[in-house]
Amino acid sequence: MAFYKDKYDVIVIGGALAGMSCAMKLATEGKDVLVLERHNLPGGIATSFVRDGIEIEATLHEMMSIGSPENPLFIRQYLDEMKVAIDWLRVPEAYVFVSPEDHIDIELHAGRRPDGTWICADEIEAQYPGSRDDVNKLLEITKQVYESVLYLNEHSISKLETLKNHEALAKTAGYSAKEVIDKICPNMKKEVKQILAAYWIYVGQPLSTLPFTIYSFLMADYLLGGSYVARGFSHEMSVAMAERCMQLGVQMEFGQNVDKILVKNGRVYGVRTAHGEEIHCDYVASAPYPNTVYGKMIEPQSEVPAEARKYANAMPMSVSCFSVVLLLDAKPEDLNIHAYSVFSAETSMDTDKFWEQGKRLGNWDYLTTICLNYANPEGVPEGMTSLSITNLPLPECFDGVNADNYFETKDHIAGEMIDQVSKRLGVNLRDHIFDIEVETPVTISHYTSDYRGGIYGYQHSMDNSVVARLEDVSKEMYIKGLVGCASHQLVGDGMACNINNGKIAAKIILEEMQKAKEA
Amino acid sequence: MKVNGFFKDVTGANRVIKARRQLIQSGSPENIYKDHIREVAEEVHPKATHVRITKVEEVSPTARKFTFVPENGDVLPPFYAGQYCSVELSVKDEESGKTTVTTRPYSISSAPYQARQGEKSFFELTIRNGRPGQGFISSYLYENAHVGDHYTVHLPFGQFHYEPLRDAKHVLALAGGSGITPFYSMAQEIAHGSLDCDLTILYGSRDRKDIILVDELSRIESACDRVRFVNVLSDDPDYEGEKGFLSRDLIEKYSYGKPSEGQTTYFVCGPLPMYNFVSGELAALNVPAKRIRMEVFGAPRDITKATGYRIHKADKELPVNAEVAAYPEDQTETTYKLTVLRGLEKTVIDALSTEPLAVSLERAGIPNNTRCRSGACGYCRSKLVEGDVFVPDSGDGRRYADKKFGYVHACSTFPLGDCTIMIPIC
Repeated sequence: MAFYKDKYDVIVIGGALAGMSCAMKLATEGKDVLVLERHNLPGGIATSFVRDGIEIEATLHEMMSIGSPENPLFIRQYLDEMKVAIDWLRVPEAYVFVSPEDHIDIELHAGRRPDGTWICADEIEAQYPGSRDDVNKLLEITKQVYESVLYLNEHSISKLETLKNHEALAKTAGYSAKEVIDKICPNMKKEVKQILAAYWIYVGQPLSTLPFTIYSFLMADYLLGGSYVARGFSHEMSVAMAERCMQLGVQMEFGQNVDKILVKNGRVYGVRTAHGEEIHCDYVASAPYPNTVYGKMIEPQSEVPAEARKYANAMPMSVSCFSVVLLLDAKPEDLNIHAYSVFSAETSMDTDKFWEQGKRLGNWDYLTTICLNYANPEGVPEGMTSLSITNLPLPECFDGVNADNYFETKDHIAGEMIDQVSKRLGVNLRDHIFDIEVETPVTISHYTSDYRGGIYGYQHSMDNSVVARLEDVSKEMYIKGLVGCASHQLVGDGMACNINNGKIAAKIILEEMQKAKEA
Repeated sequence: MKVNGFFKDVTGANRVIKARRQLIQSGSPENIYKDHIREVAEEVHPKATHVRITKVEEVSPTARKFTFVPENGDVLPPFYAGQYCSVELSVKDEESGKTTVTTRPYSISSAPYQARQGEKSFFELTIRNGRPGQGFISSYLYENAHVGDHYTVHLPFGQFHYEPLRDAKHVLALAGGSGITPFYSMAQEIAHGSLDCDLTILYGSRDRKDIILVDELSRIESACDRVRFVNVLSDDPDYEGEKGFLSRDLIEKYSYGKPSEGQTTYFVCGPLPMYNFVSGELAALNVPAKRIRMEVFGAPRDITKATGYRIHKADKELPVNAEVAAYPEDQTETTYKLTVLRGLEKTVIDALSTEPLAVSLERAGIPNNTRCRSGACGYCRSKLVEGDVFVPDSGDGRRYADKKFGYVHACSTFPLGDCTIMIPIC
């Protein structure tokens, strides 16, 4: 007997959140699906690791699109519908934003009242009197855009209908977040704008080039429903989805590296694994980036159309990550850490400047500090603090790093980031390190093989807007039967977005299957 | 609503669509794929490395040092002194004719810089001859590995290494038996100037003939003032140096400052009884937890003596623990059926109650990805589909969700009845 069937309807390359989401959706429609994951765990970077018996979150900061059980947002709804059971924990605050040079230190909370006022508008008003109305006005517009994007996620409608029923989306689609905020709220204080820019790092795009559509999605989603983590770390999300896939009859295989995607006459017909197994299928959903797929996976290479190469070569690469993950031997309050999620501008808040800094190695001034204790107290041993410090630089910052200077570089940059946070906290964190792991673009590449250690797919820039991606999605299946299924796909980065990316990939495949059947 | 005026606002979508089409058209139609980060990742974490033995040296009456060089164009990765290497082995049992495929983790005893010197690159493993009934594979390598032999190895792994952001500037190594090997690596790296810390090695042995690498370590000590090498002998009353066990007095004597003050980090590597003893001594000295680093030490030799172990027999569940000796011998070792699912394949094999599932798989010739063989690294993570198993606390490196959803690390999981597991194809 063989390990695999002769043929599957769909082979999913990559058993991370998008791949599993795609597989489970296809399986509920009765399709025969094989997931091939190169690592020995599901989830890609949605994972955790154990040191000295203590489990540590590897990457997740906060899940968006979950919402409370009473007011579920669309990813909670989708996972419920798919019968994926995850033990969600609510993150207490939206975020703390600190920028000493700008004299900003503020904590915001999620929540909108039925009358269209937002809790965070009051919190901002308390420190910056006179800004409440502007904040409420801006957030109401983001909410309208958000709701329209969700609608369009499920429905195809005409441009006229969009303009009529989704006015806010239609009228802001051509602008960056900066442009809309400046025009809509011309008198908003600089500090308030800086405070409302803090989430930029969750897309990794400065406000001057971040489409207002995406800005709206971030702001409305997080500030309406709050954010969540899983009791069993992001690994719980991954295992719960893997379990559900298997229950639905998906064949999940770990430790299986796919080397080649087999194409004939412009159409995929299978894959070949590093073990040399050739497995056939009608469709492939691919987590590998188009750059890797067209650059070295398609066999034969003559099957790669010039248009596909143009696409992959033109797509602007988004950020990777540099994260210092610490287990500290003191309670958070003894380390002057009082919140789950802190965004800090170590020099004056300026997303354009921080974006430029991401092109070089180190001396990064925008850090995200996550203290797991405040969202998942049972996940951290008594008397300890689980803390991560993250910057999301561009992959090119690692151009000068090689195997010989890699360890040294890691430690040097990590030390610098620990010192930056220590200085702000007034506590030397170096005195409290029980354990430390440093995650770099190389770490991402090692565990996922993702192109250039990317974690966010392609930039959500004005010339690669989600509105434009949506318009052309059907034209960009350059090889028949081959669909992207990860953060380089339509919706872009983030764990919740990747669950959605997987769902969209499944939808595209199901539509193609339907078309093929009709033809 | 209005941003810039009706016409400009409503044509926004068209503008971004056009901008994106233009962007795509600007892309090169050539294959310009290159991924520098992937290249670094593959060099730092090679999937497998092909090596050949070029030298075998006696480093004590009971231990040999093997030198490996890469071949087939492979390159040795950089590593931290103290990390280990997993060696793939295929051992044929002459009597049964059966082949066991397995892996063994060994601390790398050479220094990291030696693996990164171009054509002169090498690494070394120092392997002790196992005592009867112990370390069967160790003995196999000790006796059967020769110059010219080829192996496939996986490296580097493990967290047992100096970390400048975490550890004190002074490391006190508490070593026993072949547990000296990671410290030989550290000592050489310090002497080479590429590891910035002081190292004092307290090496506990029974007598002089048990000391491994004595000449090598003594040479480093005399050449480098950052490294001290102190032998501690328990069964040699005539010895002029330190005598007895690695006691709190000795630990205190060789620490920088008081052990409770945190100026020394203690690295412990040796056999299980030594761990237990040294742990007690460090606790008595109030050493802060972050200043103690323990190397993993493999699955328990006798699982029936592990805390919490139960024996299932004839539908009865008997608490055992220390009372195990009260039961007849044949009740402590039972053969169960282990159903193994790999892809669409299903194989039924025997599994001894006293051996980890990973060993049963290996005896049946089914490869599985063991690395640390101590339950820690998780490479052999497998799904327990059905059946009851025992996982000793000392070897339970599983994640919360893995426990919740029934996953086990096969190298540290013992069957308590017939079981079904799902393992990766490899």
